[in-house]
Amino acid sequence: MKKNVLNLITLVSLGATLLVLSLLFVFRAKDDVSYSERRALKQFPKLSLATVLSGEFMTDFETFALDQFPFRENFRTVKALWQFSVLFQSDNNGIYVAENSVSSIEYPLNESSVLSAASKLNALYDLYLKNSNCKVYYSVIPDKNYFLARAHGYPAMDYPRLVELFTSTVQNMEHIDIFPALSASDYYRTDPHWRQEALTEVVAALALQMGFEPETSYTYETLSGFYGAYYGQSALPIAAETLTILHSPAIDSATVTNYESGEITTVYDYEGYSGMDSYDIFLHGASPLMTIENPHSQSDAELIIFRDSFGSSLAPLLLDSYAKITLVDIRYISSAYVGEFVTFTDQDVLFIYSTTILNNSASLKD
Amino acid sequence: MLFSSLTFLFFFLPPVLILYFAVPFRGKNLVLLLSSLFFYFCGGPVYTLLLLFSILSAYVHGLLIDRFRRRAKLFVASSIIISLLLLGFFKYADFTIANVNALLGCNLPLLNLVLPIGISFYTFQTLSYTIDVYRGRAAAQRSLIKLSTYVALFPQLIAGPIVRYTTVEAELSYRKHTLSDAAYGAGRFVLGLAKKVLIANLLGEFCVQFRSSSQPSVLYYWLYAIAFALQIYFDFSGYSDMAIGLGRIFGFHFLENFNYPFIARSVTDFWRRWHISLGTWFRDYVYIPLGGNRVNKLRWVFNIALVWFLTGLWHGASWNFALWGLYFALFLALEKLFLLRLLNRLPRALSHLYLLFVVLISFVIFNAESLAQCGNDLSAMFGLSNLPFTSSDTLYALRSNAVLFAVAVVGCLPLLCRLYERLQPKKAGLALRLLSPLALCVLLLVCTAYLIDGGFNPFLYFRF
Repeated sequence: MKKNVLNLITLVSLGATLLVLSLLFVFRAKDDVSYSERRALKQFPKLSLATVLSGEFMTDFETFALDQFPFRENFRTVKALWQFSVLFQSDNNGIYVAENSVSSIEYPLNESSVLSAASKLNALYDLYLKNSNCKVYYSVIPDKNYFLARAHGYPAMDYPRLVELFTSTVQNMEHIDIFPALSASDYYRTDPHWRQEALTEVVAALALQMGFEPETSYTYETLSGFYGAYYGQSALPIAAETLTILHSPAIDSATVTNYESGEITTVYDYEGYSGMDSYDIFLHGASPLMTIENPHSQSDAELIIFRDSFGSSLAPLLLDSYAKITLVDIRYISSAYVGEFVTFTDQDVLFIYSTTILNNSASLKD
Repeated sequence: MLFSSLTFLFFFLPPVLILYFAVPFRGKNLVLLLSSLFFYFCGGPVYTLLLLFSILSAYVHGLLIDRFRRRAKLFVASSIIISLLLLGFFKYADFTIANVNALLGCNLPLLNLVLPIGISFYTFQTLSYTIDVYRGRAAAQRSLIKLSTYVALFPQLIAGPIVRYTTVEAELSYRKHTLSDAAYGAGRFVLGLAKKVLIANLLGEFCVQFRSSSQPSVLYYWLYAIAFALQIYFDFSGYSDMAIGLGRIFGFHFLENFNYPFIARSVTDFWRRWHISLGTWFRDYVYIPLGGNRVNKLRWVFNIALVWFLTGLWHGASWNFALWGLYFALFLALEKLFLLRLLNRLPRALSHLYLLFVVLISFVIFNAESLAQCGNDLSAMFGLSNLPFTSSDTLYALRSNAVLFAVAVVGCLPLLCRLYERLQPKKAGLALRLLSPLALCVLLLVCTAYLIDGGFNPFLYFRF
């Protein structure tokens, strides 16, 4: 083949690649949100003399271009595949795959964060529980990496050290160890959370120490097409998994009151399942304060759970033993304001947080 | 706007190319000038005025030098002073104030000026222009558009290479646009982009990971030194490839800026292969005017030290850059005195090892945030910081980046290029040539994928 023909092919192919993608960018309708990344996408920035001269316009335009580029998700997949299959990198943006499960490296251990989290629990105890008749417990939920990272050669936090630091700092509460009740398969493949149907042993461990009788006769409902938070982050072509929710008379008849929105709903939010974050099916997603009431409860016992998102799938499983469960998420409500909504008298109180939150405890409000 | 940004690749470059090739030749410089000014304006709107002032100063001084030959010395001095004052003020004011404060114990407030993008590069270009006009090596440019196009030419405006006016003087007035030049330029641009996005940025992430590690080790420090040396090579040579490639598309023939520096066997040879345009600039406009090596030995050593001290400071207003320059001055002086003769007698492997060792240490100095960090890094590398030889972090980083390191090491050697040339007469060579357009397209798309997904993308030489 003549050199000029090759030169022409080179120019035409490169030029066409640039031009086609440019034109597609200009003419295609812009997206509002990225479902895989669970965030709003940048729209065309404000164009004014002030934004242009300050450089803000160009900075924002670059973000806009990154967010709205045609075939964006496909390009992210190409990048992930290049990282893993060509460069043989162990992770892509901190995301790795082990035992067919996607996880995000949580490393290193941030000791001051763990101590700060423990201090926040102690402060809550001093503020609300010291002079009450509440029985107070706490538990630490291992994140997926506890089971996957070290075993597969990925950087892993020093989990024993984390637990030791936390348990030695938290005062006046009884520790419930649930680490032995979990394994890697108890977590979703594409999400950081645990599977509700795999919490039997966790509930049993809690029941044993808190002195309640766990429900054992659930019926199971399986929902297909579940893509967890790591699915979007990994950008890998991973098949969807199923999400199973548990039903019992107590769960199905319970009413959930969201103090932030004022809405009274059911435990499971089927609309939320098809929304941005399918895990929101449990108690309608994150909320600073909510109660779940069981109208058919045999006792009038109450439970207050200070929790993160893991608590959303756990709390319904405790409903059979309690008439009312109050869920407090101090990532969204200041600890100082909790007393305005919750009266601490003689309830059971459970602080339950994942190691991820303890290692990044700045999100817990004082 | 970076070359390795979606904005440049997909929104700036295509319309500029279309416009450039659509207009007749007499309009091409104007298209290049306006697009270059827009390019610069996007990166630093306010400092565009500074760029225009520098161009105007060079233009007027060039004409004055040419018109009033008897007073040419005065005008060239005026041009140099104005250029250096601008560079000194915007780049070195805070550095000077901080040192005066430290030395005299006073508390002068810092100006906190934002460094105008590319000021070190375009200042050196305008300086070379007026000095060359003064020396009679170039004719004063009477067209403001042509001179402005030379200084502001976006392919080389913000991170070099430092293109001398004499290199492109003729092409500013007349240049050929050929299919082979355009194809070569496009290919060179994509290869440079790949060097930057697919290698340098990933090595940069390795360096960031190293700095945030909670388990440093001696081995990790050495891997960091290797990674940074390779990162800066692929970053800057990648940028130079893009600049040379773009220049070629527009009909300009810029000189090469890198020539496989890591195969050198001495520091002297290394600096003939690394950032060639800067090395030759300092040689021609500082070292030789100082007397070069045609002076007594003491003065000659002083000349070397001064030139390399300035070369170091050119890279940044920080003492570690000055130390970096002086470090090279030491080895260059030693090599000129006796070491080079010794190195030439050594087996090639040993002289290579010597060069790599010197260069690795130099880049640890170069990349340190402060002299204290520089000291820490070097002591850790030599086992003086009570660190273990290795750690699980180190092994993970090594395992995860082994292929990247291998690609980078092979890529900085002329092996692949030589192999490609050897295969040319054979069937495999034909297959390679046929596949090259496809390979370039794949590289462009993979680079785009990395740009879309990643945020780690700064060019190291932008801060200089």
